[in-house]
Amino acid sequence: MEQRLANTWKMTVNEKKFIETALVADIRVDGRRPFDYRRLTIKFGREDGSSEVQLGQTHVMGFVTSELVQPYRDRQNEGSLSIFTEFSPMADPSFEAGRAGESAVELARIIDRGLRESRAVDMESLCVIAGKLVWAIRVDLHILDNGGNLVDAANIAALAALSTFRRPEFTLGGEGGQEVIIHPPEEYSEVLDKVREPLPLVIHHFPIAVTFGFFGDDNIVVIDPTHKEETVMGGRMIATLNTNGDICAIQKAGRVAVMHTVIMQCLRIASVKAGDITSKIKNAVESYNTERALRKIKRHSSAALDVHKPVVDWETQNQSVDQKRMSDLPGHQERLKPISKESGVSQSNNMEGVLTPNKAPEESTDEKPSGTESDQLNADIMPAHSPDGAVGTVVETNRKNTLADAVKPKHKRKKKSSSNIDAS
Amino acid sequence: MVFESDRATVCLDRKMMEAKPSNLPKSFIDQPVVPGDVVLDLSSMANQTIKLGGGLRQDCDALSVMKSGKLRFLKPNKYWVESSQKRYAPSVGDNILGIMVDSKADNFLVDIKGPALAYLPVLAFEGGTRRNIPKFEVGTLLYVRVVKANTGMNPELSCTDATGKAAEYGPLKDGYMFESSTGLARMLLNSPTCPVLETLGKKLSFEIAVGLNGRVWVNAEDPSTVILVSNAIMNSESLSGMQQQIMVDKLLQRVQ
Repeated sequence: MEQRLANTWKMTVNEKKFIETALVADIRVDGRRPFDYRRLTIKFGREDGSSEVQLGQTHVMGFVTSELVQPYRDRQNEGSLSIFTEFSPMADPSFEAGRAGESAVELARIIDRGLRESRAVDMESLCVIAGKLVWAIRVDLHILDNGGNLVDAANIAALAALSTFRRPEFTLGGEGGQEVIIHPPEEYSEVLDKVREPLPLVIHHFPIAVTFGFFGDDNIVVIDPTHKEETVMGGRMIATLNTNGDICAIQKAGRVAVMHTVIMQCLRIASVKAGDITSKIKNAVESYNTERALRKIKRHSSAALDVHKPVVDWETQNQSVDQKRMSDLPGHQERLKPISKESGVSQSNNMEGVLTPNKAPEESTDEKPSGTESDQLNADIMPAHSPDGAVGTVVETNRKNTLADAVKPKHKRKKKSSSNIDAS
Repeated sequence: MVFESDRATVCLDRKMMEAKPSNLPKSFIDQPVVPGDVVLDLSSMANQTIKLGGGLRQDCDALSVMKSGKLRFLKPNKYWVESSQKRYAPSVGDNILGIMVDSKADNFLVDIKGPALAYLPVLAFEGGTRRNIPKFEVGTLLYVRVVKANTGMNPELSCTDATGKAAEYGPLKDGYMFESSTGLARMLLNSPTCPVLETLGKKLSFEIAVGLNGRVWVNAEDPSTVILVSNAIMNSESLSGMQQQIMVDKLLQRVQ
C-alpha cells in the first residue's frame, strides 16, 4: 500500500488551483495559449516502418511489421491492420508492467478506429491470394514518456511509421501459381534486371487525432493538454480528421457537458491543426525517403559498376541513379512504366535533382532529425555527380537523343559483358 | 534501492605504511567525473583520514567514482560526488518540498520524491501538542526539513527549525509547484544568487521556495509572472550564467 503510494505521481492542490486560475486568464502553465499545439518532432529509425514522435514532453515510438496470414472469413480479399500499445512503467509510474490498463486500451481503440474505419490504409492491395493469404500489418506503439496527450502523439507515430513501412515484394510460383515466394529486399532479380524493392503501403489519407480538454463549467477549452492539465480537466474530446475536413471519428470522454457551438468550434480548429500536422508528417516522410533513396544509390551504383557494367559512362550511371530515386519517391508506385516516359520525367527532374540536391532536405530541417546525415550523404554523392554539372548542360541541348542512348546501351552492354564473362 | 546520502560519510582509516611526500591531485575537485575515474591515490596520503560520501568507492589504494557528477570536497577531508537526478536521496538537514499523501494518527505521510514516503510527526510543528493537531488536506504542499534519514527506515521530517520555531516551514498556499532535478535545485540555492533568479528578480517580484529534492514553488500576484518565472527556471538547467541572462532577457522582452 505504502509502496504504491510512493510510486504514484501526485499533484498538489496548489497546482490544480493555479492551472484553473491561469486558464481563466487565457494562459497555460507552459506558456502556451489555449489553442497552441506543442512542438512536434518526428524522427525515423534506420529501418523502414519505425518512427519516433516527440510532442513536448510526450515521447512515443511506433513500429510496423507485417506477416502473411489467412484472411478473415467475411473479408476474403482484404489484409488486416491491428494496433497494439505498450505502456512502459518508465513512461509513467502509474502504468503497470505487463497489464494493459484502461488508458492503454482506450488509446489503442481510438487510433484503431481512426485508421481502420476511415479506411486510411488500402486493405485490398494487401491481398496475396484471395481467401488464402493476405498481409497482416501490425502497428506497435510504445509509450516512452508520458507528458500528456498520448493519443495525438501515438496517432502521429502510427501514421509516420505506416507511411515509411515497406512490405517485401513477392511473386507467385510453384504449381498453379499458388506458392508465394517472398523476396528479401536485397535480392537481385534476373527477370526484372534490378533489385526487388520492397513496396510501400497505399495510404489514402491521414486521419489526424486532435485532443481538446474541457475545464470547469464555463467551457474553457484547450488543445493538446499536458500531463498536468489532463489531471485537472473535467472532460476531453478527441476529434480525428483529415486534410479534406472529413471527420473520421469523435470520442468524448469525461463528465463535462459541452455546448454544440463549442464542439463545432473545436472541429474547425481541429481541421486546421490536422492540416498542419499532415504537412509535417509528409515533409518528414519525404525527407526520410530522399535520404533512403540516397543511401540506396550509394551502395547500388558501386555494386552495379563492379559486376554488371564494367564500363559505364557518366550519363548512363546518372540515368539509372535518377530513375531509382524517382521510383523511390512516394508518388511513383508504378515502376514498370514505358521507359521513355519515366526517364522523361526523371530527366526533367534531373536538372534540379542533380544541380541542387541539397535543397529538398533543407526545406524541412525542422522535423528532420538526420539532416546532417543526409547532407553528408549528399556531399558523399556530390563528387560523383559533379562532372554531371558540366555534362548536364550538354544533355539539356539534345535531350531526346541522349535519353535513348542512355537506356538502350545498358541492356546491350549487360548482355555483352555477361557473354564476355562466359567466354572467359 | 540503496540509500545513499550525499554527506553520509564512510570513515576510512589508513594505517601509515610509507611516508611519501603528499601531492594531492586537486585537479579532480569541482570537475565532472564519470564512473571509473580514479580521483585519489591513497598511497600518497598514507597518514590521513578521509571521509567518503555518495558515489565514491575505495579499491585498495585507489578511490574510484561510481556515478557521474561533480566531485566535491569539503575541508578538511570530505569527498563526495554531486549529481543531478530526478530521484531524491534524503539527507539530514535538507530543506525540501513535500506533498501530503495521507494522514495517520501519529504521522502525516509525505511524498518527497525519494525511495520511500517520509513521516512528518503531527507534533513536529511549533507549539505542537496532542490538542492542536494541524489539519491538511491530501495534496497540500509543505516546506519541511529532514531530521532523520537512516537506511532501512522511512525518513522523518519536521516543520520546525532546530530551536523549535516554525521559521519558514509549513504549508505553502497558492502559487505553482513544478518538479525539476536535484541539480537545478542546488543551482538555485547557490550563493551568490544564480543568474536566472538575479535577472528575474530585477524586473519582477515573486516568492520562491526551492526544495533540495528538486521541487520548486513560485508565487506572484499575476499568474503570468508565475508562468514566466517557472518556465525560465525550467529552461535554465543546462545553460551557463551568461546564457541564462540572455534567455531571461529575451523572455522578459517578449512579455513586455
